Amino acid sequence: MNEVRLLLKKDLLILVNNLLLIFRNPLRLIPYGLGAGYFFFMYSQGIAGSEQVSSRVDLDATGEVDVTQQNIIGALTVLVLVFFIFQLYRATKNNISFFKMADVNLLFTAPVKPENLLLYYMARSILPALGGSLIFLVYSGGQLASEFELSLLGAVFLLLGFALYFFFIFPLRFLIYTLHTRFGILEPLRMGVLVLGILLVLLIVIPGLMAPVFWKGMFSWISSSWFDLFPVVGWSRGMMAYFLNGNWVLSTSYLALYGITYFAVVKLVIQYSGHYYEDVLDATQTNEDRLEKAKGKREVSEDAYSLNSKKQLALPEFGLGAQAFYWRNYVQSSRQDLHPLVGLYTMILALLGILCSFLGRFDWFSTNVLYFYLFFLLFFYFMAGIGRANIGDLKKPWFILIPASWAAKFWNMIKLDLIQILLFGLMLILPSVALGEYNWWLVLFFPLGLIFSYLIGLGVNLIPQVGLDEGWDRILIKPLMIGGIIVFGIVPTLFFTGLVMGITGNFSYGFGVAVLGLGLVASILTHVTLDILKRLEFKEL
Amino acid sequence: MLTVTQLTKVYSKQAAVKDVSFHLDGGEVVGLLGPNGAGKSTTMKCIVGLLRKTEGEIQIGGYDHLSVEAKKLFSYIPETPYVYDLLTIWEHMQFIAQAYGVRDWKAKALELLELYELEDKQKKLGRDLSKGMRQKVSICCALLADPQLLFFDEPMIGLDPKAIKNTKILFKTLKDQGKTILVSTHLIEGIESIADRILIMKEGQIIGNDSIENLKMQAASGSGLSLEDLFLELTKDE
Repeated sequence: MNEVRLLLKKDLLILVNNLLLIFRNPLRLIPYGLGAGYFFFMYSQGIAGSEQVSSRVDLDATGEVDVTQQNIIGALTVLVLVFFIFQLYRATKNNISFFKMADVNLLFTAPVKPENLLLYYMARSILPALGGSLIFLVYSGGQLASEFELSLLGAVFLLLGFALYFFFIFPLRFLIYTLHTRFGILEPLRMGVLVLGILLVLLIVIPGLMAPVFWKGMFSWISSSWFDLFPVVGWSRGMMAYFLNGNWVLSTSYLALYGITYFAVVKLVIQYSGHYYEDVLDATQTNEDRLEKAKGKREVSEDAYSLNSKKQLALPEFGLGAQAFYWRNYVQSSRQDLHPLVGLYTMILALLGILCSFLGRFDWFSTNVLYFYLFFLLFFYFMAGIGRANIGDLKKPWFILIPASWAAKFWNMIKLDLIQILLFGLMLILPSVALGEYNWWLVLFFPLGLIFSYLIGLGVNLIPQVGLDEGWDRILIKPLMIGGIIVFGIVPTLFFTGLVMGITGNFSYGFGVAVLGLGLVASILTHVTLDILKRLEFKEL
Repeated sequence: MLTVTQLTKVYSKQAAVKDVSFHLDGGEVVGLLGPNGAGKSTTMKCIVGLLRKTEGEIQIGGYDHLSVEAKKLFSYIPETPYVYDLLTIWEHMQFIAQAYGVRDWKAKALELLELYELEDKQKKLGRDLSKGMRQKVSICCALLADPQLLFFDEPMIGLDPKAIKNTKILFKTLKDQGKTILVSTHLIEGIESIADRILIMKEGQIIGNDSIENLKMQAASGSGLSLEDLFLELTKDE
């Protein structure tokens, strides 16, 4: 296969150039060294811990069902299943691509066999999954080693379990899309995925309803070893269970199942994909746009995630100068959602919170669910800040050239987000407090907490994106920043939150302390962000 | 060299190209003219195999256009020049030489890089190139394969004046070497001096197919219209 040799050579050259770029600036290696040192430290601590406590874990020693373990396994499996089904559903909407636009321009028109290109790129796509799993394994190795005796074989099965799960989604998605373009069976495919989803929900709900306590029964089937036979999700879980049961034959069998299925999927893809170039063009272009957007070269598409992109708008005037950014976001938001200030998804999230608080009035429903939900939303908005899509706009000339102060530009860039968050917070917490008779201080604390969490996420996203030119540096600095924020900001905050809750016995006061801590972190990061923006102007000029 | 017969391309019920037929003889330079959205790029992408044709037949050098044999005969220079971010210009040339099985490619690569003033930038990575430079790399890569048939999709966009002049000279050189060229453009002056024939497209159909001389005569006889006026007349909305 001449194509494989050709592509291997190309990827080798790319790898060498990548390494040269990293080594061109030796200072860049310091954070990498710190990262490696941290992992080594965690691992050695874990190993030391395992020598002291390795005898304390004795699973199934009594032969009785460990409900806690069952619930943990069940909940994790459900999360992984939801992601899996969601990915299959996405395959009925749009295709994925293993290629780059350079491949389209230089390779697709070259005298190479399309099926060989597909085979190579599909097989190569395991590398990111493997790399991510390796980092996870190294990171969690220390913790796992302190609880279980993690052997080399156990580590290998863990690694493969994670990697194959994430890897396998892409060939499956490609196959689904291929079958759709080849036979025009989009609706049956979509229906099949939906039916599978519904069946799985029933498999959770029915055992729950049959058990004396719903919460205890709902995970009984899904966390049983029978579920290990469920394709992909179950196989990965079964393979990784080696470090629990030590049964290498079983784990190898699941690995073999993966191998056989992969072979079948590849055969089907090759058989039905035909001349697939057109099928991957859109997805390849989208991937490229996303990359360029991250680099600040391209604007965010207005119809991304839009609910009503063709809507005719009656736009208000907001003023001149930096207000233009607010106006732009307002227009974009108007097209993306039902209303520029209150979106459909946020309304659903708010209603969910209100429902929790209402149910909290009944004895059989714990008020802790709402408390957990409020903390979850803080995390959710932190992630929303991290994921803010059009951060690359900051590097564009028009952002720099609009005659206004940096503070004004930054404020107008995020003003709409903050108004939306504030409205969402109030929409959720006011009825919740009223219905559930919670402490009224939450009306102040919760929206503020959301805003602070969002600002922290935004800072984590923006500072490396704008301050650093190299993609590798950004990838590395982001987790380090998050780690620093957690160690020096979140952990002390949680400590004092717990302390205040313990002393006062009141959730709201503890929540207030958490918001205060988040506010401190947010103000530091916002200060750094504004400072970075000033330096951006100097660099661009 | 190229025969397109009743080519139709439909995107979700809307026909971008309708029943297009034309033929290019060996050594011919043909301009594919038309306003934005006329279907020029779609036609070209169907021919080079990036888009699936809905109906029709395309033959290159007697082979089906999707066959490896046909692909050995042509090169395609796209409108938007994407290159590999982490390959140098020289490595791009090396890669193309391997992909097309070109032997003794180094001297030819150097010659091309000199023509496009890239010889001192050989070690630059793709990600560090401007759009114009990427377009030049794209052209160099296409020419390195020494194809019999070349497809240029809006080749002048993004190039500096000197590179545009060089490209026009290159078209003439390639024509003298007996290469067949199909240039898609909406700029008449870009190909007026070099094209043997012009295909004019509008709303997915070919509405004009004649030699430059005939079109010029037609234009002159029609109340002294220039070629540009004639093009605008032909492609104006009803």
